Amino acid sequence: MEAQKVDFVSIPPRDLDRAASFYGDTLGLERDPLSDSAWPEFTAGNVTLAVVVPEQIGMEFAPLPTGAIAIRVPDVSDARSELEQEGIAFEGETLDSGACHMAFFRDPDGNGLMLHHRYKPYHDGSTP
Amino acid sequence: MPVTSEVERVDFIAVPTLDRERSAKFYGETLGLERNPNSSEQWMEFEIGNVTLALLPHEYTGRSEFTPSSGPIALRVSDVDEARRKLEEAGVEFPMETIDSGVCHIAPFFDPDGNSLMLHRRYVPYADGSMP
Repeated sequence: MEAQKVDFVSIPPRDLDRAASFYGDTLGLERDPLSDSAWPEFTAGNVTLAVVVPEQIGMEFAPLPTGAIAIRVPDVSDARSELEQEGIAFEGETLDSGACHMAFFRDPDGNGLMLHHRYKPYHDGSTP
Repeated sequence: MPVTSEVERVDFIAVPTLDRERSAKFYGETLGLERNPNSSEQWMEFEIGNVTLALLPHEYTGRSEFTPSSGPIALRVSDVDEARRKLEEAGVEFPMETIDSGVCHIAPFFDPDGNSLMLHRRYVPYADGSMP
């Protein structure tokens, strides 16, 4: 089997409009103008995040686990402060893994997300 | 204030696992994804075109209850039927018939830990005539 790319990552909502507002307005992701209102898609750089009502694909609602999607920002502290001012609650302190900063939060439906920034190069000297 | 200018990209999608060797075999061999040579045995990463899938060992989450991911990652293949058949031959079970949404084919399945995935191929162009 040849998997060519990830077309989208599904994010299950309980409230489609609220989820669209969160990803579009609060996180400020660009709405894919070609996506329709029943299946809104948002572009996060390299990947499309699709708000997919689980029943449409024969599934029941269950939120994404903690930190399921690692969203790269230039500065985790700054981005966290901005989101906290928007009323977003974070889970615990920002973690420093020794290679990256990670701050865990959830969307309004409880889906797990993470602000992420790797500051340390890989063994071969490259940076992501 | 939205963090509009701040979100640069998705660095990885975390795939929770109870058994990293089993997961590594599934993502590396069954799905045939390339292992990121810069990733470690404790934090294994697999590359698929535009994004990284990172195996997240359950013990790192600090939680007692294991929760697999419920949001399908849509893997683009050139032909959903053919890819499904190959995976079924490799022992992967698909819980339902392939869905034809009218614009794409979707075949949902799960990894050995119950994380949600799907084979996906859009076959109808977008409204502006472009294809994804």
